[in-house]
Amino acid sequence: MLSVKGLKASVEGREILRGLDLEVGAGEVHAIMGPNGSGKSTLAHVLAGREGYEVTGGRILLEGEDLLDPAPEERARKGLFLAFQYPVELPGVNNTYFLKAALNAVRKARGEPEIDAVSFLRLMREKLKVLHLDDSLLKRAVNVGFSGGEKKRNEIFQMALLEPKLAVLDETDSGLDIDALRLVADGVNALRSPDRSVVLVTHYQRLLDYIEPDRVHVLVHGRILRSGGKELALELEEKGYGWIEADQEGEAA
Amino acid sequence: MSTIASTAEPRQHLLEDWLDSGSAAADRSITPWMDEERQSALEKVRRLGIPSTKQEAWRYSSLKPLTEQRFSPYPAEETSLTRGDLDALVIPGMDAHRAVLVNGRLVPHLSDLQDLPPGARVMSLRAMLEQEPDAVSGHLNKLAGRGDQVFTALNTAGLEDGLLVSVDPGLAVERPVEILHLSVGADVPRVAQPRHLLVLGEGARATVIERYLSLGEPLYCTNSVLELILEPGAGLDHHRIQTESPNAFHLTGLYLSQARGSRYRGLNLGLGAAWSRTDLVVRFSGPEADCELAGLYLAGDRQLVDYHLDVEHGVPHCTSRERFKGILYGRGRAVFDGRIHVARGAHKTDAHLSNKNLLLSRSAEVDTKPQLEIFADDVKCSHGTTVGQIDPDVLFYLRSRGISELAARRMLCLGFAGEIIDDLAPEPLRDYVATQVGSRLEKTTQE
Repeated sequence: MLSVKGLKASVEGREILRGLDLEVGAGEVHAIMGPNGSGKSTLAHVLAGREGYEVTGGRILLEGEDLLDPAPEERARKGLFLAFQYPVELPGVNNTYFLKAALNAVRKARGEPEIDAVSFLRLMREKLKVLHLDDSLLKRAVNVGFSGGEKKRNEIFQMALLEPKLAVLDETDSGLDIDALRLVADGVNALRSPDRSVVLVTHYQRLLDYIEPDRVHVLVHGRILRSGGKELALELEEKGYGWIEADQEGEAA
Repeated sequence: MSTIASTAEPRQHLLEDWLDSGSAAADRSITPWMDEERQSALEKVRRLGIPSTKQEAWRYSSLKPLTEQRFSPYPAEETSLTRGDLDALVIPGMDAHRAVLVNGRLVPHLSDLQDLPPGARVMSLRAMLEQEPDAVSGHLNKLAGRGDQVFTALNTAGLEDGLLVSVDPGLAVERPVEILHLSVGADVPRVAQPRHLLVLGEGARATVIERYLSLGEPLYCTNSVLELILEPGAGLDHHRIQTESPNAFHLTGLYLSQARGSRYRGLNLGLGAAWSRTDLVVRFSGPEADCELAGLYLAGDRQLVDYHLDVEHGVPHCTSRERFKGILYGRGRAVFDGRIHVARGAHKTDAHLSNKNLLLSRSAEVDTKPQLEIFADDVKCSHGTTVGQIDPDVLFYLRSRGISELAARRMLCLGFAGEIIDDLAPEPLRDYVATQVGSRLEKTTQE
C-alpha cells in the first residue's frame, strides 16, 4: 500500500528526515513511535503534502503511484487521509457543507456520482453514532468551540466518512482522556479492512492497547532504527527511547 | 493660478450638470417650503464645492473618477419595461410589497403596493408634498439638511421625487417592503437622485429591503438620500443590497433618527458599482434606543467601496453595534471610517465597533479608521479592526480533505462573510445574497 524509500526532508534548511524507509502492506496497521523531535509529525505532514517541508531525497509510493508530486487535494483523492494533531478551526464554515464538499471531491475522483442529500445525511448519522458524536455537530462550524477530545473525534469521523485507503493519524491520542481514547480507537478499528492501511504516529504505547498494530517502528533522528511486533511497544514503555539510541550507538561502535 | 483654474473647472461641471434639470425643477415649484429648502441646498452646494482628498472625509476616496464623467439627469419619460422584464430581477420566493423605481422614478405599473395594510403607506414623496406638505415637513431634510455632505445637498437641491414610506403608530407590517431601484442604460451617462423618507410611528414595526441594481452594465450614477425616522418604541429591520453595474457610481446618504426605546437593525451589502460611497449617519433623540449597523463589502479590480459611519450618542442609555466585514481581491480598494461620538452627559452608552477585512491579493488595499470620541463617564465602548489574509494552515486543512484550493478559498471567504449574511432574514433574501456573494467570489478567487 505505502512504500517509503530513503525519504529525506528539511524544514527551513534543517534536515529532519534522513533516509526513512517504511513499507506498509494492505490491511496492516503500523505504529510509528519515537521521542520528541524525532521527525514523526514531519513524516505525517510530508505524506499529506504540507507546504514548508522540502523533500530532498527518496520517494513515496501509494499503491505503486508517486505521492510526492501531487497537490494535497490530489493525494486526498488518491485515498490518503491525515488526522491532524491540531485540527484547525474554520469559523463560518458549516460542518455539513464542508463534509459534503470533501466527500464529493473524493467520490468524484473514485468515479462515483455525487451523493444525494438523503443518503448523505444517513451516512453521517451512522458514522456519528460510532464515535458517540452529537448530531448538533453537523450544524456547527468546523471545529469551532469543540473541546480537544471532540476535535480529535471529529477527525476520525471525517476519516470514517471519506473511507481512505491509507489513514495517517498524527498523535491522535494526545490530550485524550481514557473514554475519548476508547472512542477514537473504536472508530479506527471499525475502519480496519483488508484493503485499508493505517499509520499511527504516537508518542505513547497507551493507544496501542486499543488499536493493535501489526508492526511497530521506532523513529529516531529521522530514521527508523528498529521495527518489530506489538511487543516492541511494550519494551519501549518499559525501557524508554534512550535504550534504542544507546543500542544504536553500540552497534555503530 | 492657471493650474488651479484648469483643475477646478471640470470639477464644477459636476455641480452644474447634475443640477441642470434640478434648476429647471426649481422652476416647477412643489411647495413654497420645499422650494426654499431646495434653494438653500443649492447655495450650500455652491459654497461647499466638490470635496478634495485634502478633506478628511474624502481623504482615501478620490472623486476624480466621478468628476471625469459628465452626468445629466434622466429625462422624464415613461419606461418601456414590463413586469416580465422584472421576473429575472426579483428575489426568488421573496414575498413583499414592492415599489419599483426605474432610473430613480417610481413606476406604479411595475410596483405591488395594493396589499399594504391600512395605516401603512408607500407612495410618491412628491405627491405627498403636494397634497399634505404638513405631514412630511416636520421630518424631511431635518437631519439630512444639517450636515455638510455636498452630495446630500445636491440631492436636496435637485429633489424631484422619491418615496414616502410611513407606518401608523402601533402597526406592524408583517410582509417586507421592498424598494427596488433599477437603472437601465441611457444614450449618455445619467444621474438619478432618488429621495426617500421613512417614518415609523410610535411602536410601529416594519422590514424594508432596499436594492440597487441595473440591466446590463451601463455607466450611470445613483445619488440617493434616505431619511429614516423612528418614533418611540418603533422597530425597523433594514436590508440594503447594492449590486449596481460594474461601471456605475453609487452614492448613498442615510440619515437615521431614533427616538426613545426604538430599535434599528441595518444590514448593508456593497457588492457592485465601480465606485461607491455610503454615509450612514445615526442620531439618538431619546434614551434606551438600540442601533445595529452591519455590513459586508466586496471589491475587486478597479473597484472602490467606501463606508463612512457617523454614530452620535447625544443622549444617555443607548446602545449601538457596528459590525462591518470586507473582502478585497485583485486591485480592489475599500475605505472604512467608523466614528462613534459619545457626548457629554450620554452616560450608560454602550457602543462597539468592529471592522474586519480579508485581503486576497497583494494589490488589494483597505484603509480602515475607527474613531471613538468619548466625552461622557460611565460608558462601555470598544472598537477593533483587523486586516488579514487566508491562513495557510486552514487552507491546507481543507485541501487535505480533497477540496481544491480554489473551492477551499471560496469556502473560507463565504465562511468569513457568513457571520454577516446569516443575520439576513427572511430566508429567500439570505439565500439570494449568499448566491450573489458566492458568484462574486468565483471571480475573486480566480487569480
